[in-house]
Amino acid sequence: MDNQTAILEVDRVAKRFGGLVAVDSVSFDVRPGEILGIIGPNGAGKTTLFGLISGFIAPSSGDVRFDGVSIVGTPPHLLVRRGLVRSFQIVQTFADMTTLDVVATAALVRRPMNEAIDFAAHILARVGLSGKEQLTPKQLSLQDKKLLEVAKCVATEPRLILLDEVMAGLTLAETDAPLAVVRDLNAQGTTIVMIEHVMPVIMRAAHRMIVLNFGAKIAEGTPQEMLSNRAVVEAYFGDHVDA
Amino acid sequence: MRPEFFAQLRSPVPWIVLAVAAVMPFVLPNYYLHIFTITLVYAALASAWNIVGGIAGQISLAHSLFVGCGAMLSSALLVRYGLNMWLGVIVSAAAAAAIGAMISFIDFRFRLGHLSFALITMAFAEMAEIYVTGTEFFGGASGLFLPKDTGDFFAFQFGGGRGAFWAMLAMTALCLLANLAILNSPLGYYLRSIRDNENAAQAIGVGLLRNKTLAMTISAVLTAIVGAIYARYLAFVDPYLLVSPTLTVEIILFATVGGLGSVIGPALGAFLLAPLGEILRGHFGGSLPGLHYFIYGAIVVAVILVSPAGVWPAIVSRLAKRGRQKA
Repeated sequence: MDNQTAILEVDRVAKRFGGLVAVDSVSFDVRPGEILGIIGPNGAGKTTLFGLISGFIAPSSGDVRFDGVSIVGTPPHLLVRRGLVRSFQIVQTFADMTTLDVVATAALVRRPMNEAIDFAAHILARVGLSGKEQLTPKQLSLQDKKLLEVAKCVATEPRLILLDEVMAGLTLAETDAPLAVVRDLNAQGTTIVMIEHVMPVIMRAAHRMIVLNFGAKIAEGTPQEMLSNRAVVEAYFGDHVDA
Repeated sequence: MRPEFFAQLRSPVPWIVLAVAAVMPFVLPNYYLHIFTITLVYAALASAWNIVGGIAGQISLAHSLFVGCGAMLSSALLVRYGLNMWLGVIVSAAAAAAIGAMISFIDFRFRLGHLSFALITMAFAEMAEIYVTGTEFFGGASGLFLPKDTGDFFAFQFGGGRGAFWAMLAMTALCLLANLAILNSPLGYYLRSIRDNENAAQAIGVGLLRNKTLAMTISAVLTAIVGAIYARYLAFVDPYLLVSPTLTVEIILFATVGGLGSVIGPALGAFLLAPLGEILRGHFGGSLPGLHYFIYGAIVVAVILVSPAGVWPAIVSRLAKRGRQKA
């Protein structure tokens, strides 16, 4: 796998907000076709890292390359057109637009008007929101909003998708549907980077994981390796654990 | 373009309404035809403003500037240089588009929020009024008189009251058509997503600068053309009417009462309020000046209390409910 060119290269990226170092010289590669999990305690800089990759936040230093080309300074909507899309941890709603309209807008990235609407309906069915096409965010449950967040991303037909805690707040049983969608997408060739707090979910889904703490990468490896990694266990549970 | 666009155009209702409106000059006495014409001016302006303010959710207070651009610039070019007013309309519409694009760029470059955008556009409108009333080319504070309307169509003359009515009717229809087309095309989806959540819109591939600029220039061009027809109808081009920020406030008021973001709403608002304002001004303008503003205010409060989204959405949801009960 190592001889394959990375779809995304994060190269010593840092972000400082005044005196606070939110992301501290983080480097990693994302390989085409994999599911990479990012975990870390609250405030570890995971969401900021997604902001830096997706063009919403400008890095203080370092470089991000997509398909080998630097994308620092490229606005988010152009990255979406190139095939890099993100979801938001805090669900972003469009107050007056129906579910179908929102997903159709996303589908317009690669499809003409009429096709986009049919495709949007298809995506909604796929994530499990059929029958809810004409509802507005006010009428959706948190679980449905999270599914809509995934549907929006999928509808742009990305090659790399950054999912930010799309399972958070859901019970383990409720994560089955979004998890199936993620695996399905991956099986069809979409590369996935996902931030997740629900450990059993990410353990099952990710091929590889990186762990952040206080803005820095402290570990990288397979899910099994992470469980036995002393630095990871300390970051999560403190250093006096009898487990 | 969604098929709904063509379906609505194939429906007989808009054509019947248009045909009925078109025979009004043969039915209505002059005074009422005048009120109808003014109402159409406001309906067209509210409808054009809706593209920016309703669909894209950018509260522009600069629209008096675009009306003034169409009215004053095309008139001044005719009076000062004898430039054919059709050409003058093209020049002034292009100027309005350029100013609109510039405002959009400033909005993008400095990432103005909603309030800052409203204030900046208002500043442009105020500056425009001061500039026009202080510039001899535009007739200064006393305005300009246009040559007599002889009905020469090729000189942008429509032959008095009836002709001006038809010209405004056509223009109103064009503004409504523009709204319908935008709402059923990708641009409408992009603008609505920008209105609801700029960040999330970008995250699904919607560019802010391109789409906001497009909305603003389309709206500015339509507004400028309405301004030119209005100027031709009035024959006297008064900067304190046509470049006044008060005009923008009236446009926004009508659009809001009618229902922002819909095709029919803003024009409906103009039809409900503009005739009322004209008649009140006619009857009480001498004894109780400003009475119509007071009544506008009361109506806005009433509409917001009863149906915050406006009159047209309230009608639509009422009809939908009735339809469901029957079915």
